[in-house]
Formats: sequence, structure tokens, C-alpha cells
Amino acid sequence: YRDLHTFELQAPTRLIEWARGSRVCVAGYGQSDGNEILQLIPPPTLLTKETQGLCPERDFKVECGGFSERPVYSLKYVPDTSLLVTSGPPDSSLQVWQVSAEDSDVIKSVSPIATENGTGQSWAKIATISARAPWVLHGSRLDRVQITEVESRKNVYTAASRGSEELSGLAFLDCNTLLLCCATGQLCVADIRQPQNLMEAVSVPSAPCSEQWCMGTRHGAQGLEPSSQPVARLSSRGLLTLTDLRKTSEFLALAKARVPSPGSGAEFLCVSWAPALEGCLAISGFDGTVHVYDTQSWDSSGREAEPIFVHKGHAFGGASGSGDPPLVTVHTWHLQKPRTLLSAATDGSLHVWDWVQPCGKC
Amino acid sequence: MPEIKVTPLGAGQDVGRSCILVSIAGKNVMLDCGMHMGYNDDRRFPDFSYITQNGRLTDFLDCVIISHFHLDHCGALPYFSEMVGYDGPIYMTHPTKAICPILLEDYRKITVDKKGETNFFTSQMIKDCMKKVVAVHLHQTVQVDEELEIKAYYAGHVLGAAMFQIKVGCESVVYTGDYNMTPDRHLGAAWIDKCRPDLLISESTYATTIRDSKRCRERDFLKKVHETVERGGKVLIPVFALGRAQELCILLETFWERMNLKAPIYFSTGLTEKANHYYKLFITWTNQKIRKTFVQRNMFEFKHIKAFDRAFADNPGPMVVFATPGMLHAGQSLQIFRKWAGNEKNMVIMPGYCVQGTVGHKILSGQRKLEMEGRQILEVKMQVEYMSFSAHADAKGIMQLIRQAEPRNVLLVHGEAKKMEFLKQKIEQEFHVSCYMPANGETTTILTNPCIPVDISLGLLKREAAIGPLPDAKKPKLMHGTLLMKDNSFRLVSSEQALKELGLAEHQLRFTCRVHIQDPRKEHETVLRVYNHLKGILKDYSVQHLPDGSITVESILIQATAHSEDQGTKVLLVSWTYQDEELGSYLTSLLKKGLPQST
Repeated sequence: YRDLHTFELQAPTRLIEWARGSRVCVAGYGQSDGNEILQLIPPPTLLTKETQGLCPERDFKVECGGFSERPVYSLKYVPDTSLLVTSGPPDSSLQVWQVSAEDSDVIKSVSPIATENGTGQSWAKIATISARAPWVLHGSRLDRVQITEVESRKNVYTAASRGSEELSGLAFLDCNTLLLCCATGQLCVADIRQPQNLMEAVSVPSAPCSEQWCMGTRHGAQGLEPSSQPVARLSSRGLLTLTDLRKTSEFLALAKARVPSPGSGAEFLCVSWAPALEGCLAISGFDGTVHVYDTQSWDSSGREAEPIFVHKGHAFGGASGSGDPPLVTVHTWHLQKPRTLLSAATDGSLHVWDWVQPCGKC
Repeated sequence: MPEIKVTPLGAGQDVGRSCILVSIAGKNVMLDCGMHMGYNDDRRFPDFSYITQNGRLTDFLDCVIISHFHLDHCGALPYFSEMVGYDGPIYMTHPTKAICPILLEDYRKITVDKKGETNFFTSQMIKDCMKKVVAVHLHQTVQVDEELEIKAYYAGHVLGAAMFQIKVGCESVVYTGDYNMTPDRHLGAAWIDKCRPDLLISESTYATTIRDSKRCRERDFLKKVHETVERGGKVLIPVFALGRAQELCILLETFWERMNLKAPIYFSTGLTEKANHYYKLFITWTNQKIRKTFVQRNMFEFKHIKAFDRAFADNPGPMVVFATPGMLHAGQSLQIFRKWAGNEKNMVIMPGYCVQGTVGHKILSGQRKLEMEGRQILEVKMQVEYMSFSAHADAKGIMQLIRQAEPRNVLLVHGEAKKMEFLKQKIEQEFHVSCYMPANGETTTILTNPCIPVDISLGLLKREAAIGPLPDAKKPKLMHGTLLMKDNSFRLVSSEQALKELGLAEHQLRFTCRVHIQDPRKEHETVLRVYNHLKGILKDYSVQHLPDGSITVESILIQATAHSEDQGTKVLLVSWTYQDEELGSYLTSLLKKGLPQST
């Protein structure tokens, strides 16, 4: 490690989102009521480029907070506005919030975006963009994907129904292109200008036991054609596939991560690309560790890959050892500092760590 | 409505110069009397003129309570008691009483000698002020006067810090001072019982921070010290004699032992003895671990930490020195600093807040060329680091304390209003209590619902229990009695007994009501009709038809006469005593409905 900071949140979070001004947002998911959404100002150590050892301000400050009546499973800021959107059980409706940090430190709830709630619908996955207007893309199933304009609540797009598979993630590739990932591993690309078409991408290798999949897309790569960025998919058995959306008939790469099997479920599976390191991605959700991989050496053979770094902090950090060992719920990369990550676990811990490449490059 | 009034004179929505005035059931208590470390003029003292414009403070205040020896809680005490004028009792814990004067004298020296101020308290004033102090033990109930009592609870934070419960009758307030809910190496965590005060006054300085774990801070501190020492440099750590210094000493000692390091660690002479003396004296105030090991060896007698001699500063090679005073404003630490500042291999680690104007403050702000006396310029090449190990409660800790004490209301001090709205809502939602955040000079009034104990006479209790349904723990039962307030006691007795005790005669009240009934028949027939009607309805009551033509229902009398002007209308006179009010009204309304045709 180059640096490691551990913090303890009052309640565990399963999301870490970056906001304007280097703010970080976390939210509780445990109780049925009284979950807190916290917008935090990271300590100056994390904002500067160089790492300082001792710094006067080493703590996160709660800039503002809100109270959610339901567990918060997903949260996204709406760019160019002072709003954010959250979703969580028991249904697929979205809650909208207003953040006005200068006036008061309370995040206020604004009226929710309702959706038609069929039976057996779980919580909605969300993505936001501000292209023509602030939009939120949301849905819990493949046949319930829509884009709603946040301020007017108008429905702007509804995806053509294909199947009713549950979604594990969705993203805007650009202001016209959507990427949807099903829990079964299927990837679908849609162009919102052609609501009738839903293009299917390559599926995943079939497995004897059912596994769950999630995806990670690359953000922030300015000026590059979004569909040229490979999309990573991670399964609950530890399989990783990289796909180029322009050539969906084959995998760019296929590898297996060394994870404990069977996985403890797919609740917290998370895979993400490093914004500043070419070809590096991180995975978590199997145990109390976060793995970092360099995918540039991968091929399509499906061999086991060796991580270039493993963060084990959450497995040790934990308290008295009562109950189950902590499970990492989410991780995210720092947007500027290339090797810094933030990760959170089920015991309420929040770690910020900066790793050192063990040998040579990067 | 009875109420508790709280007015912060300092520390309402800002940090520094804590001073809170509480009025409870006619008693006035001042909580803390601190100095604001950031100002050099009158703003550093709380505004005492608010308390009483021309009256004497001694007459107005029943007592003053000091929570701990930090200057932002006790720094203005000598000014208050000797220069403004107060002769009443001042309460604090034993360690605070022992250590307070040392810090006050130290601060006085800097302000007067170094800065040349004239309107400041003198050494004699500090001594005179301390003569007014009454020391208290933990969990000891102290009677300030017949009605006002106080009790101290362990607060952690620094040696001798306490939270105080102030109680008058059944109304109480708990003031936390500065506290810490997580134990550290030499102090335990704050603790209070489920005393359910009407109001809890809590500090909220760190309420909005999520603190870096202690392990990380310590690890980084040790790393810095180790790196410096490894490359042959010297580390200067300016500290106050008591407080975090002990914590850091224990930390370094353990590290040195584990890593088998040889570089010497020194602690200022004079202060070592005094500090050790106080910690030994107040060993019960430290944490469990220290007390347990104290039997085998004195935790504060270190193997690797030795007493410092001025000459050592010139010794070559690496070393670590703890020297006082803490802000590099004078004395030994400043001397050492001047010797070592020019060498970039050396390091100074500032362990806490530095007052403006001190060298400590200047170098932390980034200044690298300092003007010393005699116009000498000192170039600072040594590394300057800052690290704060102060122990305060964060949001989680505040919630824990509220959960322990179960107050009915919460008041927050020491924070900025805008940044406390979220915490206020959090507290209100989780505990369903009201949360207040007054500014300096703003008075908050909290309504209380005191319980007033009343004795009930056995005779009355037995009598009421016998009437009506059986007593049930789940159902409230209405009972009648008379409340006698005599000689500060309240008694509930039956009316007869009350009359007897007070020597009053009982008055009889009798009501009579006229009910008109359309009935052309003769009076005695009407009466018969009424009698049969009532007998049929009031089966549980004794309804009688008397020979003189009147009807009685229990003790209520009904008589019929013909209307003077209209023979077809009969007038029923219904008469009852006050005791039969209920039945009387019922009968009247029943009769007003008219008689059924059949009878």
C-alpha cells in the first residue's frame, strides 16, 4: 500500500457515488425506515495529488444528509442539476431528492417517480445523463426499461419488450445509446431514436449452475467513441468477460478470477474500470476483499487470472469477530488519483486505499 | 408551566469560550467559564453582563460548575470570580481542581509576560479563585443547598473531565462538557445511567465528521517519527504536560519496545514528575487496563522515555523530545525548536490547536521565516507536521449517549447552526425528543412536566376501590377527593375528612327542576304513570311511591302538581342534592322525553 485510511460509517452502505466538487455519497440499506443518505466531503488528503502522511484534516465531513423511508440500494446524481435519484425495495419506483448544501444541510425529498408496479418486481437500476434534458434511465426488468425526464416527470422513451429478465445494470453509452445488462448475463444495446429495436449482444458462456452477472462500463474517456470501450461482465462464479460492442459475436477476453466458491450470492457483485489506468479493472462482492486486475494480458481462453493487487482490509478491520466476516458491498475508483479506490463493507467500514504496483509498470 | 431556561453565553453555535447559564426551578447555575483562544480582546471572555446588569452575581447564581481543565472551559474563571466578582461555590472534580491552576498560571504568563497585556487576572487571583472551589467525586450526590443537588459522571476526553447532572426536585439537566464515547490508551469512555433528565446539553463539535480510525492516525504518526529517526533526525513534539501527552508517550513506548528501537525519547523535566504524580493520584480516573497493570508496574514510568536535560538538545544523533509548552510560544519547547529548526532532517509535530500569535500557529500556517526577539530571523527548514488526537464524540457517540441517558429534550452547543440541522432531525426522528440549538445570548425555554407526588388517605382509597368495577391495572379509574396542600405536603382525602381537618361546615346544595308533561288526567294518575315508567326503566335503582303522592328514586324526590294556568299540563318537580347530580340530570332528561302512551 502507499496509503490506507479506514473509516467507520454509522450504517453500512452499498453504494459510493461521486458528486460535483469531489463529494462522495453513501446511503444506508439496512432498515426498512430511517436510512440515511450522506453526502460527504472527503478529507483534503484525498483531494490533493500528493499523499501527505499527517494532515490536519483527515476526516470525512458530512456535508448534508437526508432520511429515506426505504432502504437505498442505488443512487445517482442528475448532472447539471441539484437533484439526485434513489431506488430501493419494495418496488421499482424512484425517489427524487434535492441537495442544497449552501442553504441547509438537509437533503430534502421531492415527490417520487412512480412506475407501474407489476407483481414480482424488484428495485430499479438507474443511470442518469443530462444531454437534451436531465434524464433518468430506470427499470427493474428488461421489459420495463424507460427514460423519464427528471424535472417534468415525462416519459421520454420506453424500450421494446423482449423478455422479462431481471436487470442487473444499465448505462448510457452516449446521449442516444443505452446498454442494458440482465442478471442472466445478456447484454442489450438500444438506440433511443429507434425504440422498436433492441440489439442483443453476445451472451455469456453457459454454466451448469445458474449464475448472476453484472457489468462495468468505462466512464470519462473523453473524445473516444463510447462503443469502442470494452464492457466487462462479472459472474457470481468469478468469470470475467470483456466484450467490444462493435464486434459482439465474440469475446475480447475471458478469464476467471480466483474467488471463493460458491459465491455468497450476487447481491453485491461489482466490477469497474479504472478511469486513469489503461486496462485495469477491479472486482468485489465475493468476500471481504477487492481485487485489481490488469486485463491487457488476457485472452479468450478463460484461464485463471492473477490479480495485480488484493485489498484485504475489510476482512481484518472488523470488530470483535462476532457473526459473519464482512462482505465488501461496493467499490469505486477515485476519478483523478489513478491508483486510489474507495470500498465499503457490510460492517459499516469505508476504506480509502492507494496501492503500489508490485513490479514494474503501471 | 414549569420550565428550564438555557442561555449560552459562549459556545452557542461556535467553538471556544464555553459558558452556559441554566435556570431550573428557580435556581441559576453557570456551566463552565471558558476563554476563547482565538481572540485577544474582550471577545475572549463570555459576556457576563447578560446575567445581571447591576445585581451581584453571587446573589443571582447558586453555583458554578466546571467540566474539565481545558482553557476553553475554565480559562475565564479567575476573571469571572475575581475581576467581575463572584463568591459562591465553584464545583469541579478533584483532578480538575488540581490541574486547572497550573494551566491558568501558564496561560497568564504568556499573555502578560510575553504579550504584555495589562487587563488580565494575576497569580493571586488564580489562587483566590481556587479557594472557592469545592471538589467532588464521581457519582457523588452533592447538595448545593436544600433543593439543588449535582452529581458528576465520567466523561473520558481528558483526565478529570466530567459530565454533570443538576437536579432540583424532580427536574434535572445533564451537561456533558466535552466527552468521548470510545476509550483510548489511558482514559475510559464516557458513561451515564438512565437518569432520564428533562434536558441533555451536549457538545456537537465533531457531530458532522466521520473520523479516520485511530489505528491509521497512530500508524501515520509512528511512521513519521520512525522515518525521521531512521535518517538521523530529531523529532520535537510540543505538548501540554497533561492530556494527550500521556497517550502519545504510551504509544511511542509500546512502538519502541516492539521495534526494538534505540534512539532516546525524552520528556521535559519537572513536568514528568508532576504529570506522573497526578496520574498516580488520580489513577481511578484512568482506564481499566492502566489500573490493572499499575499493580505490576507504573504505566507512566517508562522504560524508553527519560527525563530531559537542556544540554541533550545539542547531542548529535536522532532523538524524540516531548517538551512544553504546547504551542511553541515560550519556554523549553521554543528553545529546542530554535536549535533544531535549521536542519531539514528534523521534524516538529504539533499535536493540537495553536492560538493565533504563537510560533506554533505561524509555522502551521506555512510561515517559514520567523522573527524572533532582537529582530533575528529564524529560517525553518525542519519538517512541520500537524496531527490531532483530540478525543471528542462524533455523531454516533452523541446518539449513544442520548440512548444511555434517555433525556426528554436535547440541546446542542459547539456547532454551526447550518451544519447541525441534519443532526437535529436525526435526533428528533430516532428518539422522538425535541432538539434545540441556540446561539450565544439566545435563551431556549424548555417546558417540563414535573411529577408531583401526592399521598392518598387509606380510607379514601378503600372506599373508592369498593365502588364500581374492580381496580384494573390497565384501566384508569376516575375517583373523587379533595387535595389538601399543607406544610409542603400534598394529600388526597375524602371531602368529609377535609372538612373536618379544615374545620369547615358542610353546605348542602339542592337542585330543583321543573319538567312539564302533557297529561290531562288528575295529578295522582300522572304520578302513577311516572312511577310505573320509572320503575320499568330504572331497574337497578330503588324507585318508590310514597303515600304522600311523591316518588323517590334513591334520594331524589319527584312531585307532581298541576300547572296553574293550564290543567292539561302537569309540572313535575324533580329535586336532588349535589351528590346525586348525575342521577338527577339523567332523570330530568328522561322525563323531558315524555311518558309513554301506554301507562
